[in-house]
Amino acid sequence: MSSFISNKRNAASLFLSSALAGGWYTATSALLSGQSEEFVPVVGAIVLAGITPLVMPLARSRTEAENHSMAQRLRAFDSHAIVNIVDTKGLLEEVNDRFIALTGYTREQLIGKPVSMLYDDAFKELAAEIRACLKRGDTWQGETPLRCANGRMIYTQITVMPMYDEQGNWTGSISARTDVTRANELLAERDTAETLYELRDDIWIVDAETRVFSYMNRSAMRRTGWSDKAYTAKTLDDLSDESGNDAILNACEELASSGEVITQLDTELLGKHFQVTIKMLQIGRAPGRFLIMLHDISDIIDEERMKSEFISMVSHELRSPLTSIKGSMGLLLSRAAGELPSKARALLEISHRNADRLVLIINDILDLEKIANGRLEFNLEDTDIVSLLRETGDANASLEQRFGVRIQIENLNTPIWLNTDPNRVIQVLTNLLSNAAKFSKPGDRILVRAEDDPNELRISVTDKGQGIPMAEQHKVFQRFADLSNSNRAAKGGTGLGLSVCKAIVENLGGKIGFDSREGFGTTFYFTLPKKTSQMGAKETAPLLREAS
Amino acid sequence: MIKLLHVEDDADIREIALMALELSGDFDVVQCETGEAALNQVQNYTPDVILLDMMMPGMTGRQTLEKMREMDSLRDVPAIFMTARAQHNEIEELRELGAADVISKPFDPISLADQVKTAMQAG
Repeated sequence: MSSFISNKRNAASLFLSSALAGGWYTATSALLSGQSEEFVPVVGAIVLAGITPLVMPLARSRTEAENHSMAQRLRAFDSHAIVNIVDTKGLLEEVNDRFIALTGYTREQLIGKPVSMLYDDAFKELAAEIRACLKRGDTWQGETPLRCANGRMIYTQITVMPMYDEQGNWTGSISARTDVTRANELLAERDTAETLYELRDDIWIVDAETRVFSYMNRSAMRRTGWSDKAYTAKTLDDLSDESGNDAILNACEELASSGEVITQLDTELLGKHFQVTIKMLQIGRAPGRFLIMLHDISDIIDEERMKSEFISMVSHELRSPLTSIKGSMGLLLSRAAGELPSKARALLEISHRNADRLVLIINDILDLEKIANGRLEFNLEDTDIVSLLRETGDANASLEQRFGVRIQIENLNTPIWLNTDPNRVIQVLTNLLSNAAKFSKPGDRILVRAEDDPNELRISVTDKGQGIPMAEQHKVFQRFADLSNSNRAAKGGTGLGLSVCKAIVENLGGKIGFDSREGFGTTFYFTLPKKTSQMGAKETAPLLREAS
Repeated sequence: MIKLLHVEDDADIREIALMALELSGDFDVVQCETGEAALNQVQNYTPDVILLDMMMPGMTGRQTLEKMREMDSLRDVPAIFMTARAQHNEIEELRELGAADVISKPFDPISLADQVKTAMQAG
């Protein structure tokens, strides 16, 4: 951060200071080489070094001893400060050796070049402010970054003073700087250390070889009950013994032997659930250390569990009254209570159909919730997809009656074996068939086809319905997607079916998609990876949390 | 007549199940509101088939069946669970417990009698 200090001085003082500062560089060089015994205009430089009160009386009564003393002070100043002179156009006129050494440029690369080459673009606004200050005859002090020849930025505490000729004309400025980069870095390191200490996550640093703790932040000390003196006598093994959890210890060992840099795991420790990140720290030849960060996710897990329990509870509580409603209506429609007037029957059928729809919605919500939590089961087994397609077609024969359509399973004679979850495939296929029937015209044909590929099987359901408008195709797999021509309520859809299908297919390792032309129909398809278990044994599919 | 013991805490569902089963004319139905009441009932009554709700206050359907299986007279009586949609592993667990079938709620009252008969044959 830069600070700005501006002090208006009187004209005489300004003239003296700037004139002396102007001759500083050559005079300093001469004094340091011991070649000059003459009066040298050194006061400007001394002003920059902040020792003006010491120097002013000397200007009038100079002796050889005094000049020698002055030379020593200037030598100290020159070896400490980074000095440059800039003309009124902003071009570098002079730089001292310290400037060269620190920035890495040669004198030739600097002299005559704009001083702005040393600054970042972000500094331009401040540079204009400094320039305006100098023009007013003010001195500017603050902190500025400086770009070195290798591109590295260093930070300098700087005093910039305007320079004038004998007639009082502004001739440029002289700057004296101190490198404060390291000081800033130390401050930043201190801030980082303080932040780490106060962090809500637990931070440990453990020696990779001895497993002894070398650092714990406040949160970690509080959780383990080990103070800063106690943890330095403890190892990861002690923690394993006390918590009964070896997961972190094992992960550290695996990380060290694998040559990897970072690893993550979820584990329980001291009664809480943690997301643990372990990073191997290896600086030069120093002994390796593990930086272990523990993020407490107990609350998140509890919230997920409560949400899950709530959804299950709501689902169950809805099912009981729905069982009564649907059961009563079913009995009435079956004439268990006698013949009904035709209008009453029609109204009852509407109620019954919508009760069915409510059941489907509850089932879909439950499925989506289970998928989101990775709790939807997939039971893989070697399955003949050809038979499965036929069975699903037969099981959905009621769609043909209800919507007046014809479901045609493409004539496949050879079994196609896949290791998949047949019940979930039936669920997807039933959903696609139901959609196709709802959006077909009476008399239309719905074609179910399986295309065998070396890597995957592609199953498609094609209808000749109204198709999906191009502008709405991106919404098809969204939950409760509001498609303008879907008329979901009238068709009995839940608005969730395709979301469920997508999640199931992706969990089974496949993809789902569609091709649709408005007015011509739609083909929904999904793929399943071609794999069979060697012994026909069941396998567990990877459950992808983000599938939902 | 098939002697059927139906255990269900929801009075409306009990009534619908009773009507549905009586429609077929093949069942003699005895109903209980809780698992505890069912265990009392079977002290002097041996059904041919048991229809059990899963989630009930007090003893669950599963606990009720476990207790019934400890009784010699009920060890081999087919039991059918009625439950909100159970996952595959839950259904497998119930089958291992001796369930002849698992009927999802809401059930179809028209086909309930046939489902029970089929499960009895399979069991």
